[in-house]
Amino acid sequence: MNLSKPVSKVLVLDDSPAHAEALKLFFDEHNLIALKVRDSRRLSAVLSTSIDLGGVLLADDYGGSLDEAAAAAARINTLRPELPVILRLSGNTPPEQLPHALKNAACASFDAANMSALCAAVDQYIFSLDFPNALVRGIAEITEARLATLFDGVTVRRDAPSVVRDRIIFGEVFSLIPLEGTWCRGYMLMQAQEDPLLAMIERDRAARRSGANGASGTSGVSGPGAAEAGFRDLNNLLGELTNLIWGAFKDRFLGPQSAREASQVQVPLLVNHKHRYISFGSDNPQLRFQYLLHDETSGQSVAIDQRFVFNLSWSPEDFSENTLDVDDLVESGELDLF
Amino acid sequence: MAKILVVDDSSTVRDEVAGFLTKNGLDVATAIDGKEGLAKLRTDSNIRLIVSDVNMPNMDGLTMVEKIRGELANKTVNVIMLTTESSPAMKERGKAAGVKGWIVKPFKGDAVLETFRKLAG
Repeated sequence: MNLSKPVSKVLVLDDSPAHAEALKLFFDEHNLIALKVRDSRRLSAVLSTSIDLGGVLLADDYGGSLDEAAAAAARINTLRPELPVILRLSGNTPPEQLPHALKNAACASFDAANMSALCAAVDQYIFSLDFPNALVRGIAEITEARLATLFDGVTVRRDAPSVVRDRIIFGEVFSLIPLEGTWCRGYMLMQAQEDPLLAMIERDRAARRSGANGASGTSGVSGPGAAEAGFRDLNNLLGELTNLIWGAFKDRFLGPQSAREASQVQVPLLVNHKHRYISFGSDNPQLRFQYLLHDETSGQSVAIDQRFVFNLSWSPEDFSENTLDVDDLVESGELDLF
Repeated sequence: MAKILVVDDSSTVRDEVAGFLTKNGLDVATAIDGKEGLAKLRTDSNIRLIVSDVNMPNMDGLTMVEKIRGELANKTVNVIMLTTESSPAMKERGKAAGVKGWIVKPFKGDAVLETFRKLAG
């Protein structure tokens, strides 16, 4: 694994022990994390609960037969058509004689004897956008710093950033803010589950009321009349967190050039509440970060899911980073008098 | 009594800043955007200091300052911007509009309380 680059989680529907070692080696070398489903009867459950997949690797003999593999392909196509399916050909059946469902679902295929085809498919369909290392590192730094100011006594942990192709909404509340620059245009999406975050807001308020954590005014959740937290408190917190991260992202990566100079092409976003699905009108992969806020006192944790979707414009060759981080010039929170 | 007007579209920030200042004995009013901030300043002559966000719906913070200095011809009220914006260009625009100081969020009350007292005095 190259830890300086994002990983991607791939659903592996391949129960052939003959290829397990080769695939494991390939996955390690290409920053892929395998999520194996050995029992094909569990496939629907896994598909409906996974929200961070980059693609699917499906063997044409998965489940013991072509028909089983075709049934799995049909299920993927029904439940998660946005996921690229890469087909491993066993060689038992000529490609032109594969069932329609298999041929229809696969975006690419490979023979285990020739992994270069798999490599090309992974580059084309999973890691199709090359996210600059400085961007990935910078986003994590910015977000962790802002999350750390939300609550007293809470530590922030982060999973390895990942490239995802799914479009499933996480949690019950999300914020969305446009990112408009000369080298990229898209959105940042912040998602959370309501109940754990509400509970953390309430614990923080209670601690502040009792004076246990002092009253320095550094948090975003204290205030007059603080009482039991409601969903509007949560909305406000997530909105302000989004605003803080957006401001820092803009300063660090988007530069002084006005977004108005960029093309103002827009596409509609589509949210399907029933299927917890959001589409940005583009097949581009999303860059995902997951943070875990852990309250040391109560032992409770809150997951924050953050995604970057550059659906309107992506020119990483023009990427630049403001290395004179404003935080180094005037520390946030300090007054710069004119 | 001298009053501080806190202008921010985020109730989280309004509550946080207003709560901190009130707790420290200062008289505070709030507004949800530049438009309301301007209206409150017109009717409340006790306001001596405005702490305002930049990016807000209806009327942004810098436009509000430009109108305070222009339309209202009020050259005396002090204005501090409290914002996620930190680009030199944006600060220059604020300075030209008559802003007294700039704070990059998040708000750290203890670091600015004494200056706020002086500017509101």
